[in-house]
Amino acid sequence: MPGSVEVPALQDLTVDEVNVSSAVLKAAAHHYGSQCDKANKEFMLCRWEEKDPRKCLEEGKKVNECAINFFRQIKGNCPESFTEYWTCLDYCNLHELRHCRKQQKEFDNCVLDKLGWERPDLGNLSKVTKVATSRPLPENPYHSRARPEPNPAIEGPLEPAKHGSRVFFWNW
Amino acid sequence: MASAKVKQDMPPPGGYGPVQYKRNLPTRGLSGYSMFGIGIGVMIFGYWRIVKWNRERRRLLIEDLEARIALLPLLQAESDRRTLRLMRENLEEEAVIMKDVPGWKVGENMFHTDRWVSPTLDELYNLRLREELIQKKFDFLKYM
Amino acid sequence: MLHILITHVINPLAYIVPVLLAVAFLTLIERKVLGYMQLRKGPNVVGPYGLLQPIADGVKLFIKEPIRPSTSSPFLFLAAPALALTLALTLWAPMPLPHPVTDMNLSMLFILALSSLAVYSILGSGWASNSKYALIGALRAVAQTISYEVALGLILLSTIMFTGGFTLSMFSTTQEAIWLLAPAWPLAAMWYTSTLAETNRAPFDLTEGESELVSGFNVEYAGGPFALFFLAEYANILFMNTLSAILFMGTSCFLMFPELTTANIMMKAALLSALFLWVRASYPRFRYDQLMHLVWKNFLPLTLALILWHLSMPVSTAGLPPQL
Repeated sequence: MPGSVEVPALQDLTVDEVNVSSAVLKAAAHHYGSQCDKANKEFMLCRWEEKDPRKCLEEGKKVNECAINFFRQIKGNCPESFTEYWTCLDYCNLHELRHCRKQQKEFDNCVLDKLGWERPDLGNLSKVTKVATSRPLPENPYHSRARPEPNPAIEGPLEPAKHGSRVFFWNW
Repeated sequence: MASAKVKQDMPPPGGYGPVQYKRNLPTRGLSGYSMFGIGIGVMIFGYWRIVKWNRERRRLLIEDLEARIALLPLLQAESDRRTLRLMRENLEEEAVIMKDVPGWKVGENMFHTDRWVSPTLDELYNLRLREELIQKKFDFLKYM
Repeated sequence: MLHILITHVINPLAYIVPVLLAVAFLTLIERKVLGYMQLRKGPNVVGPYGLLQPIADGVKLFIKEPIRPSTSSPFLFLAAPALALTLALTLWAPMPLPHPVTDMNLSMLFILALSSLAVYSILGSGWASNSKYALIGALRAVAQTISYEVALGLILLSTIMFTGGFTLSMFSTTQEAIWLLAPAWPLAAMWYTSTLAETNRAPFDLTEGESELVSGFNVEYAGGPFALFFLAEYANILFMNTLSAILFMGTSCFLMFPELTTANIMMKAALLSALFLWVRASYPRFRYDQLMHLVWKNFLPLTLALILWHLSMPVSTAGLPPQL
């Protein structure tokens, strides 16, 4: 019986979006990953467990809030070195981080001085983490139907087929 | 008849000396062995550099992927909201378009399930301009 | 509308026109270089230093009557040169110079596929001419081209082991540490020789040895269709040299001057092309059996062995590129 697809109302979906370009995002990615770790992990866990974007809107809003906050802090404290860093990333192809180590260092130092943010070590962001959350584990996120009863155990003796397998002929 | 002894033109007794047909080229430059050795040396040096660089590149790749991991929640949250917004707009549009059709249920699920089914791009952009759909499908492919 | 015009007309033209110009002046520089190597002047009458010679040649060829032999297959006879030039120009699309027109992940495979299609234009033209000289010339040319393609493909495979992908732009990343010419110079030498054979250049120009072999598969061609073959051949030569430069001579993006990357690539390609001309001026033509012996009995075993080596060496030294 097809029900109707519930879609949240538009005002539930309006958030302050982060309007920055890809170079800016990439330049800030590592610090962002460590600063907004909590909100990000919470959202990803929700998304993974619920399998439904409609149920993770709150968490998603928190992610955005954190991101906006994060970029505001950068803008307030280290605008010059950050701008320098991301323009450098934009300079050659592909946004390669290795081309801009000098500017990155400057940005890192500034951020460390003013905000106390440290750049996460290599491998820190890709670690598997456990997230403590108050959200209950969803029951049956796939909305599967109830499984049929398993077959009852067969009473009586089980014997091999009298003339061997029908599938193979080389069993003896 | 054989009165006039003809002097036959013959080689000198014992034959001619050996004819020198080998080219006399001065051996210049390095010998073949040393050139070969230098070649092998260059190869080994090159392998060493490339191997070191490839190990470094693997680390750089991890760094790159971590940047993406860090950004994924933000981008995912954004795209979820965008999808839902489009669906909501489509729903309202559908209600307007189909209001005269009796028995039409607005926003009816087309699948026999309650679970979330991600809409395809064609579904999302069906009520919009064709250019928007094309842009959405192919925009990363062109440099404009 | 403007959008469509830009993507489908202006964008391709923006690389086709420079390629054709480069081809035109490659023919001039070839005649000049050959001339000076033989202690004569080369073209120096049309324009200053003969600079307008290629244009005059082009105009001459295209206003000549295109001869169509009465016994030839009319459609194929004209389709073959058109195919040749189309393929030669399409091959340039995935080239990272440093930004390709079509940015493909498997650009290397695309190039291999298209360059092996090029033999059909030779085969088609030879067969459609309906002349035994053209047919036999075409068969020889095709046999040579596809034989050397084997060597080219295997060499590419070895370089891919170092790079970790079929994407041509990845090669510039790989060679930031050192040019692949250093660790793989035997491959580079074989690659260069094979490109000579692949583009039917001297000393492997058996297909079109003018005096001895009545110029091979394109005897029956004159005027416009011949010009198409000619352009295709020289476009292929330039293309192959650009590819060699990208594969072996490290053409990464300069950090300070990204604008100079293209100049860097094309400088190396021009250098390799000059070497092509030098080779043509210096070496006598190979005998056909020697040519086949070279590729099947020397290059093939060597490249196969080197593939094994280049597979096992990075694996054993933990020097595999990322994503492999």
